[in-house]
Amino acid sequence: MTPAKQLARLCAADALAVGEMRRFELDGAPPIALYRLADGFHATADTCTHARASLTEGDLEGDEIVCPVHFGTFHVPSGRALCFPVTEDLHVYPVHLADGDVHVELS
Amino acid sequence: MGAGERPVSAELAAAERFLFLEARLLDAERYDEWLALLTDDVHYWVPGVENRNRTDAEGPFAPGRMAHFDDGWTDLQRRIVRFTSETAWSENPPTRHVHVVSNVEVEPAEREDELLVHSLTVVHRGRYEASDEALYGRREDVLRRVEGELRLARRRVILAHNVLPSKNLNTFL
Amino acid sequence: MSLPPPAALVDVERGTVDRRIFWERELYERELERIFARCWLFVAHESQLPEPGSFLTTTMGEDNVIVARGRDGVIRAFLNSCPHRGNRVCHAERGTARGFVCNYHGWSFGLDGALRGMHESGAYERTPGFDPAEHGLLQVAQIDAYKGFVFATFDAEAPPLADYLGDFRWYLDILLDNDDGGTEFVGGCIRSVIACNWKVAAENFAGDALHAGWTHDSGARAMGGASVPTLDGQESYQVNVNGHCWEFNLDLVGNAATFGDKRVTKNLRVREQELAERLGPLRARMIGAISSATVFPNMSFLPGQQTFRTWQPKGPHHTQLDTWVLVNRSLSDELKEAYRKGVMMTFSPSGVFEMDDGENWEYSTRSNAGVVTRAQKLHYGLGLDSRIEHPELKGNVFRSQLNDANARAFYARWTQLLEADSWAQVNDR
Repeated sequence: MTPAKQLARLCAADALAVGEMRRFELDGAPPIALYRLADGFHATADTCTHARASLTEGDLEGDEIVCPVHFGTFHVPSGRALCFPVTEDLHVYPVHLADGDVHVELS
Repeated sequence: MGAGERPVSAELAAAERFLFLEARLLDAERYDEWLALLTDDVHYWVPGVENRNRTDAEGPFAPGRMAHFDDGWTDLQRRIVRFTSETAWSENPPTRHVHVVSNVEVEPAEREDELLVHSLTVVHRGRYEASDEALYGRREDVLRRVEGELRLARRRVILAHNVLPSKNLNTFL
Repeated sequence: MSLPPPAALVDVERGTVDRRIFWERELYERELERIFARCWLFVAHESQLPEPGSFLTTTMGEDNVIVARGRDGVIRAFLNSCPHRGNRVCHAERGTARGFVCNYHGWSFGLDGALRGMHESGAYERTPGFDPAEHGLLQVAQIDAYKGFVFATFDAEAPPLADYLGDFRWYLDILLDNDDGGTEFVGGCIRSVIACNWKVAAENFAGDALHAGWTHDSGARAMGGASVPTLDGQESYQVNVNGHCWEFNLDLVGNAATFGDKRVTKNLRVREQELAERLGPLRARMIGAISSATVFPNMSFLPGQQTFRTWQPKGPHHTQLDTWVLVNRSLSDELKEAYRKGVMMTFSPSGVFEMDDGENWEYSTRSNAGVVTRAQKLHYGLGLDSRIEHPELKGNVFRSQLNDANARAFYARWTQLLEADSWAQVNDR
């Protein structure tokens, strides 16, 4: 039997337009960044893996997020670190849409 | 031919002869003869060079921005009118010009009657007892054969200097 | 021998200037503190910062600063020196950026100069009392713009820009407000160095019409085939306000004609009626006339010819000239190109006019290496009796542009600022 997924509701799906992102703080979890890209919703950890910056204060360019402090860049769908100084990938949260709301899977 | 000798192409030899002659004429301020080495449609461009980051798409220089020279034939001739004017006070006593030309390379150009010529220029000017400045640049020229003789049709000099280390540019590069 | 006080170095009544003001390092250092660290200084034209993220670097005195347009659209200026170990933060002279990161320890600053983080920031977070808000790039005290010209000052007590410029704005409108679209810089900047004291250059543009016909004879012949016309006997003036100076003829196009390009002079003649309605007939005739101007301390231009420059002090005997071309935004591309080429041909290090200025200024400075030479006074007494009342011209007005009145006013302001302990002691003049 698979363990039940722990899902957290973030917001209504129409709360974000394409190209927007928002930070969410949940009890017992690090801050989460939710992005609405052209192909749908994605979620990663909001805290940059390099220093302590909040990625949602940076720039979302296509499917890449640029950290506002040292401009390290991550691929949003995979969390992959793309350029100096970021070397550690972002944790990616699987996203589920249900009843018009956006949920993320906390592990 | 002895061991270690390589044949110098005819084009390279001709380009060097041209550039060395040009330098000698400029050293001697023989401006009318220098002007005669240029084609009527010459474009003579020495852009201002800005300190820009490598990733800046606008680049350190571009056509249409400020330049030291962005001249056609008439513009160059006007400058020569001043150089040779008896009231060009800062040309008397004369500057001691030394135009060093180096690193000459030749490539074919788009037109059959033209050559693309790369070179380095170092222009040293001594004025009065104290002034003493050198200007460095990399040149890209198009030389064109006109009635059997090479002429300068296009020149672009990219200076090594962002701030020109001199109060004036009273010569050609 | 110790230096007398600044007021004793300039005699406005008799029209003499002590040469040591162009030579002594002690006075130069005092200028950096009391003039360049206190006055409103030109730092940018708004057209150089078109969008959020646009930035340029420049100097105020010898303090290097970043001028940047933030994400909120606001233009700010702050020191280009990291508060950590002092390294220069931004080496590019212009561009577009998300922020500025110091190469030494990765201290990262936003477009507003605020500290956003650094390499291994955890160590700082564990440091008691460390507050990033206290370690941003130091902002200038005040920043403001007048019709496209952005000025900044390090002095919180400096009067507002509008008061600093005072009635000189009436004259600046000739340059900045003769057309609905306002002005812009044509792209790029040409920089060079002149081994002269910065004031030698600034005073030349402030009030030296006399040199034009002699120094620049060869330039005039090259561009127009003839010498500079005689100025003596023509209706002309020198005006100054708070040390800002404009000297001018009323011939409409004398400066504009230096290019020898009929399109430029024709454009002014065609607009003459419109300009007279917008600015009044007197100012309209000043627009392209034989003239020059300096905004105290170190910003100068040639109205109608459109060369625009700052004289940046680099020591008592060195000046960096940064020069741009200023045009009306609404001009056709063809005319903007005519100004760009015309200014390059005439006023730049390769310019046929400017080429003869540099040496005059260098040797005017350099000769003062001699102790006997620099004990002599310089003559600034032309036009000592030329002050007049004028029904329309604002500020202090003097008849004839062949005059040292503006130079005397420039140095009077210089004296005033060097002697004042604060702006409270500085009067409008």
